[in-house]
Amino acid sequence: MNIKVNGREVEIFSGARVADVLRKYSRISWKQVQNGSKTVCDGLGHEIAHDGELNGGEALFVRMAGKRRAGK
Amino acid sequence: MKRTKRSLIVSFLPLLLLAGLACSSCASLPPAPADARIVIFHFNDVHGKIDNFAKVAAIVERERRQGGDVYLFCAGDNFTGNPIIDQYEPPGEPMLELLNRLGVDLLSPGNHEFDIGLDNLRRFAARTSFPFVSANIQAGADGFPQLKPYVELKTKSGVRIAVFGLIQIEAGNGLPSTHPDKVKGLRFSEPLQQALEMKALRSGNHVLLGLTHLGFDVDQKLAERMPELDAIIGGHSHTRVDPAEIINGVLVAQAGSDNRYLGRVELRVRNGSVAEKKGELIELKAQREEDPEVKAMIARFNQNPAFARVIAEAPFAIEGKDALGSLMTDAIRWAHGLDVAFQNQGGIRLNRLSEKITLKDIFTLDPFGNQVIEIVMSAEEIRSLVRDSFAKGDEIDLQVSGLSYLVRTDEQRRIQEILLRRPDGSPLPEEGKYKVGVSSYVASSYSFAHKDPGRALASTTADALIRFLESRPDLSLYRGIQRAFQDPPGRPGRY
Repeated sequence: MNIKVNGREVEIFSGARVADVLRKYSRISWKQVQNGSKTVCDGLGHEIAHDGELNGGEALFVRMAGKRRAGK
Repeated sequence: MKRTKRSLIVSFLPLLLLAGLACSSCASLPPAPADARIVIFHFNDVHGKIDNFAKVAAIVERERRQGGDVYLFCAGDNFTGNPIIDQYEPPGEPMLELLNRLGVDLLSPGNHEFDIGLDNLRRFAARTSFPFVSANIQAGADGFPQLKPYVELKTKSGVRIAVFGLIQIEAGNGLPSTHPDKVKGLRFSEPLQQALEMKALRSGNHVLLGLTHLGFDVDQKLAERMPELDAIIGGHSHTRVDPAEIINGVLVAQAGSDNRYLGRVELRVRNGSVAEKKGELIELKAQREEDPEVKAMIARFNQNPAFARVIAEAPFAIEGKDALGSLMTDAIRWAHGLDVAFQNQGGIRLNRLSEKITLKDIFTLDPFGNQVIEIVMSAEEIRSLVRDSFAKGDEIDLQVSGLSYLVRTDEQRRIQEILLRRPDGSPLPEEGKYKVGVSSYVASSYSFAHKDPGRALASTTADALIRFLESRPDLSLYRGIQRAFQDPPGRPGRY
């Protein structure tokens, strides 16, 4: 299946979780998410857990921890 | 084929249920109170993380004591994710007792409800004090009961609420994300399509809710397609939705995962329809009050005696990464009928398994909860995986089952060739395609060529090892065993 991370398409095995996709996307980003300096969100800015289950075609965003989306 | 009366009833059950739906929609809607407040607490994707249930119980009970219309909904995936709870005997018992004690009103099963197996789930469902609800699961004739597609609740103040359930299915096989054997005999229909058939409930009720296990992205699509809904309370994607979103006029809520949050949706019904709605999450870490009785239950369950159970006895201690890695990869290959399996050395967290192997030993040896991933690979693609693994530290990194390999390097440890051999010592045919099992960690963090993106087999590497050991394999093989070689040899003592 394909998941977009920060706009970049990542092809990964079906049934992959958020952590799997991030490891494949960027080792550096994954380390930042692991140490809490960055978080993973959906397109509306909602935080998703590392073990979150994914459907093909979803989009994830890695961003600075604690940053709130506009209007919230 | 002779059809029995029972099988006819089972065959027509979905039709009978839909007929009931039609009748419900025909029913005249009784007048609702002028003003009513309904509170729905909800959680999802607990995955065996039970420790905060004492806080959940205290919060829900506090609200119930105030005498209003209070419900507690579960949006699925109570199992899989905490070995202490997952390995309990009988399976599911801690969750059963806790959900009953919390006073859950309704559960919409998620894909991981099926992980404990249909027989165990049937026994679980028979003993819950609340119904399961799912509109897109059709039972077969194998004894698993047909779940209600929806329930209609009537509040103390006279408000009628219809709630239907939905479970996710994978695009590829049309099944929920669990091992296909775990849902054998059940049929699953496309959830968004099935939801549209629930529109009829709108006319017979003041409030229409979806209790779903679809993922937040699919819940958004459901809201776009079905503005008749007042709210969707969901799970599956482990999304922390705080506050709840209003999408196409539908409130969409989800409470993260692992029992870190309790969702609270509040509906204000005025003159027969929902006039106000809001949803928020309560962070359980910040809560102090706990229900002492539930706390005691949790403490009891966390002392799972099954963890000390001896699941296999070896004639000697199994020692070293070669022996342990061979055992782990044999287990993956055996459990899933694969041709080849690999295990990275960093994922082998013990150097020795004693003669009496307990469940606790397995989760110490393999604590990460990695899934088994199947990838169909050519010999050259397997070589690519071995090459990347070796390059990580200029030494053997992957243990293997189903073949052996030799990495030949020059004096600067640059790889010159990689020889793959079948267990009988003959070269692995280059033209073959091989079903290769690796952990989700290897599949996602190693760079190797593979045209097949692969698929998760809905089972962890530790599960495979437990099943393998319980099958009583010949453990005398795992002394002095070696399947991965380098020439010239690696630094002594490195593996």
